[in-house]
Amino acid sequence: MTTPDQLFLAKKAAKKAARRDKVEEVGDLNITSLMDIVSIIVIYLLKSYATDPVIIMPTAGQKIPLSHADAPITDGVPVYISSRAITFNNKKLVTLDDDGNVDPAALKGHLIGPLFDAMAEEADKAKAMKAAQGEEPWNGRLILVGDQRLKFSTLVNVMFTAGRAEFTEFAFCVIQTGG
Amino acid sequence: MARKKRKGAEEGEVEANLLPVMNIMFLLIPALLLAMEVARFAAVNVNPPKFAASADQKKEKDDKKKPLNLKVFILEDGYRISAQDQQEGADAGKSADSSKPTIPLAKPGAAMDDFDRYDYVALEAKAKQYKSLFAHETVVTISAENTIPMQALIQTMDALRGSKCRLAKAMKGEKVPEDCLFWQSVVEAGAG
Repeated sequence: MTTPDQLFLAKKAAKKAARRDKVEEVGDLNITSLMDIVSIIVIYLLKSYATDPVIIMPTAGQKIPLSHADAPITDGVPVYISSRAITFNNKKLVTLDDDGNVDPAALKGHLIGPLFDAMAEEADKAKAMKAAQGEEPWNGRLILVGDQRLKFSTLVNVMFTAGRAEFTEFAFCVIQTGG
Repeated sequence: MARKKRKGAEEGEVEANLLPVMNIMFLLIPALLLAMEVARFAAVNVNPPKFAASADQKKEKDDKKKPLNLKVFILEDGYRISAQDQQEGADAGKSADSSKPTIPLAKPGAAMDDFDRYDYVALEAKAKQYKSLFAHETVVTISAENTIPMQALIQTMDALRGSKCRLAKAMKGEKVPEDCLFWQSVVEAGAG
């Protein structure tokens, strides 16, 4: 006769042996759905980045003006003028005061000193690149990405500075509205 | 103790079925992408002011009739409009009268950041009136007081261009639509 304890131990040993003999199952994950999602995202991102020749990345807190205009943004160099600062080539060059005026230390008449230096450098680089490639002369197109509340005086100062740095064509970046 | 272990071992064998989760994700992501509001950027082309006309331009001017030379000055209290160097609404014998705007505000007393304070409808009507008299003219010079916000400038340009004007095809070489009024803007300081 076997006692209940012996029976329990025997069963336990049998189960242990069965577990040892059992071949480990490999977890299989179905990645078809995941691939579908990734494909959609990749196509969407490619489409949205390939449409515009210039990628506009507004700075934090910047509200771009709204307009009925439907002309696409063509090639050009963007300058971002938020209510706090002027950014060019990913560098915050000039700060604006609470009233939206350019810091007086950076201003000489209508000319914004640090912005002029950066724009002139960019213009020289672009001209040299065009010359090296043997392409037609550089057209000097500037895309002004402003703020809805940007004061006209500041806008004029930026345009004047860009003009001095040999930018001859200007476009205001706007968000297209339906109406 | 032994019972707990057995129970745990049995539960550990259950494998999560990820397929329904994946299916939901598959539906959710396109739905979110579609629901997402995408800002569509556009460009408003502006010309910098030309300070002097070339010799050819001067000769051409002499040959033709007097040009329209439409100028719109955005004041804090409305629009001052002048054409052929004569401000509309100016006192008799004066070319300009800075005391009052040609088109007053649509919302008098509204704050400067209320961009609908200007009467864009009246401005567009005035632009149509000038366009009917000078059909070949497309250029308007716009200036503003220092405090005028950019949104007001853009909406003024929209009104002068015409609310039905669509220039996307014209940018690709097609003819500019007849709905377009004064679609070439020159922005300058102190043009009033």
